[in-house]
Amino acid sequence: MTPTRPGPRGRALLLVLPALVPVVAVVGAALVSAALLSLGLAPLVGEPGLSLDAYRAAAGDLGTGIGLSLGIAAASTGIAVVVGLCLALAATAAVRRSRLLGALAALTIPIPHLVGAAAIGLLLADAGFLARLLGVDPASWPPLVGGQLWVAVVAEYAWKESAFVALVVAGVLATRAASYGETAALLGAGRWARLRYVTLPLAAPALLSAAAVSFVYTLGSYEVAALLGRAYPEPLPVLAYRLFTSIDLAARPQAAAVALTTTALALLVVLAALRALRRLAAER
Amino acid sequence: MSAPRAAGAASRAGRALLALWLVLPLVPLLLWAFADRWAFPAVLPQEWGTRGAEEALAAGAGGAFLRSTLLGAVVAALATPLGAMAGRALASRQVPAGTAVLAVLLAPLALPPFAVALGLDVLLLRLRVPAALGVVLLLVVVAVPYTTLTMRAAYAAHDRGFEDVARTLGAGRWRTVRSVQLPLVAPALAGAAFLAFLVGWSDYIVTVLVGGGRLTTLPLLVAAAAAATGSEAQVAVLSLTAILPPVALLVVVGSLGRRGRRA
Amino acid sequence: MHGRGVAPALTGFSLEVPAGSCVAILGPSGSGKSTVLRLTAGLDAPTAGSVHLDGADLAGVLPERRGMAMVFQRPLLFPHLSVRDNVAFADRVRGVPRRAARRRAEEYLGLVQLDGFGDRPARALSGGQEQRVALARALAAEPRVLLLDEPFSALDVRLREEMHELLADLRARLEPTILLVTHDHAEADALADSAAVLDGGRLLQAGPLRDLYARPASLAVSRLLGGRTEVAGTVVAGVHHSPLGALALPRAFPDGAAVLVLRHEAVQVTPPADPAADAVGTVVRVRRRGLRGLVTVEITADGGSATVDAELGPGQDVGTGRTVGLRLPAEDRWVVPVDDASDGPSAGGPRA
Repeated sequence: MTPTRPGPRGRALLLVLPALVPVVAVVGAALVSAALLSLGLAPLVGEPGLSLDAYRAAAGDLGTGIGLSLGIAAASTGIAVVVGLCLALAATAAVRRSRLLGALAALTIPIPHLVGAAAIGLLLADAGFLARLLGVDPASWPPLVGGQLWVAVVAEYAWKESAFVALVVAGVLATRAASYGETAALLGAGRWARLRYVTLPLAAPALLSAAAVSFVYTLGSYEVAALLGRAYPEPLPVLAYRLFTSIDLAARPQAAAVALTTTALALLVVLAALRALRRLAAER
Repeated sequence: MSAPRAAGAASRAGRALLALWLVLPLVPLLLWAFADRWAFPAVLPQEWGTRGAEEALAAGAGGAFLRSTLLGAVVAALATPLGAMAGRALASRQVPAGTAVLAVLLAPLALPPFAVALGLDVLLLRLRVPAALGVVLLLVVVAVPYTTLTMRAAYAAHDRGFEDVARTLGAGRWRTVRSVQLPLVAPALAGAAFLAFLVGWSDYIVTVLVGGGRLTTLPLLVAAAAAATGSEAQVAVLSLTAILPPVALLVVVGSLGRRGRRA
Repeated sequence: MHGRGVAPALTGFSLEVPAGSCVAILGPSGSGKSTVLRLTAGLDAPTAGSVHLDGADLAGVLPERRGMAMVFQRPLLFPHLSVRDNVAFADRVRGVPRRAARRRAEEYLGLVQLDGFGDRPARALSGGQEQRVALARALAAEPRVLLLDEPFSALDVRLREEMHELLADLRARLEPTILLVTHDHAEADALADSAAVLDGGRLLQAGPLRDLYARPASLAVSRLLGGRTEVAGTVVAGVHHSPLGALALPRAFPDGAAVLVLRHEAVQVTPPADPAADAVGTVVRVRRRGLRGLVTVEITADGGSATVDAELGPGQDVGTGRTVGLRLPAEDRWVVPVDDASDGPSAGGPRA
């Protein structure tokens, strides 16, 4: 080999760099820039100086925002996991496998969340499709869109993410569960025993990963809550967007503070999910 | 005797409920899209027509459709080769600190896009980077985890023996990539490109924050129409316009993938 | 294949392949024999040492420039191409127009008796047909050296024999230079003019297969070539002393401890009263192999006991427990040094 030609490790490094460089540059630059902004070190007006003013000023809204965002993410992920698991089981069942449900779930995936929000709005609003179907007067229809319980927001995330969970779990079950299930059946395990001792443990890692991805996505997603939620209190992304686009330039550091808090929260969730996955793997 | 029958009925009912769960939100979209008049409390529109489509066109749906398509295509065209190269390298297990590199490449999955867009926006403004370029750059970074994961799995299942054969038969390194490696991972490439296209096609927040309203894509029109009152028909038409192309692509990519596996 | 940072896959290995000949590299799995082919083909770079072709050093020459086509154990037909385009691959990458390349591909498909299979997709073939196409694809590249890496070991016995005949036929017609890797001494015997026995990355012995069978250099070579009888003893003045008695050797060996090896094909089983019998013993095991049988005979003498394997003639039949005589033809006796006799199955031996 000529000395100028890189070895296999050098070649592998050259192959990852085109992806690695923009990711590191964009994510790094964005986080550093947001951090500087939030700490008063890169103000749009005035002198730079280290301070936690932005965090202090946003503290009240930040507190309610964290609670609200976590609540919405938890509720929608919970529903998505249960419905998604049912969908996956129906789509991969050994007896009467439902291709239709699998196809419907797959076709739900490419629908943009924003469009999902528009559709849920048309379905659940005061004079929406569901109210018409059930024949309920707008005056006595519960405030699902923009109401105190964020029902429409949770419903949209649960709807879209259930399809995602279903696809991830069905992918695992389709390749592995059938043969194990047959073995278990030969060993005399009944339907529930097979579900409890074969299918669920097999699906658990995929289910957990999908739940984590879906939770983190919901936590950081803006448009659904903006469209279907109420004006106050605000989930973190909505809060950050309002502060960032406010005419008051002094609010921008607060927006950066909210963004960084959301990022930290998302990373914590990912770390917790990774730990849980490792514990799950160790249990076997 | 009746227990299995009852279980069967329960399972059928469960499946029907699941299908309803997936389909119900789309029904009002389909009805509203062709409703000229649909006053409460009618369950079906009183007058059918194309008012929604006309309103959508008047709102600039045509241009937005083209811009969204272009954005999705550009993101796919950039993120797919990046993910393919990274996936190939990571599958070969030759990358120094491979796990850490993979973690960094997947990081955009965990980070809230609005937070990254918000941080970057300030910087891009200071550096005077054109808004559209900033949007593309950020969306490519958001799409890289999907393309990398897809291609890493494809290359892990790929048999390098095929490339060894090609080399001994006289094909150079680049010719081997072109004539052997890429055709063999083509279904995965199509899947990765589809996911990257979706990132560009469905994005709202990055386009709004970094694009600063100058890049009007389909999701921006949907959001604008949905926030207004009395525009249900227009919302429905715009939404269907945003759904149909990716669904059609999914069907095409899916059948390509199946043919690839069968061949 | 050996990864980085492990013991070198090959040490002190040197081998010459004359033009137009077929040389086999024979060794157990993990012996480094595939490494020889990958180094020769240029798919891996040697840390030290060199590969020469027609006197020219190939160091730094890319695999595609070496003019060596390789057939692997798996057929590795490109799944996105038809059978014909697989065979035409080498011509196409060389820039031959599609039509000419396909015409030539048809000729090579004919050579491997697959005329008319050109239009089929590569995955629509049986295992044997796939390997024929792989062979045709390699031959169509008109390589200066054809490298065969256990190409037939995944096939069943009947198909393997068909492929052996096909390859012998192709050698007669095209006279390619072939370097073959196999773990099967019978395959090496069927295909190659000579063989190099490789174990643990070391060349143990090289030469024509007749020589290797009859005169192995060590117990390891004897075992790799399917030798079954090993009797420990001592050589004194050209005579091997063991529980089999004193057996005169066909040529001079240095005095000292040595293991007598005998091919089971050469040993004849006779009635116990046979005056020409060199030893008399009891049949302890009979294995059926079609019309022939393979028996293990235990010979006990005052010095200890030894076992000898012998092939029965067609129709010859003896049962376990019978007493039989054994003729051990003088020209088929051979002894090897005792050094590596400690491991592996040693057949009996004197408890001196």
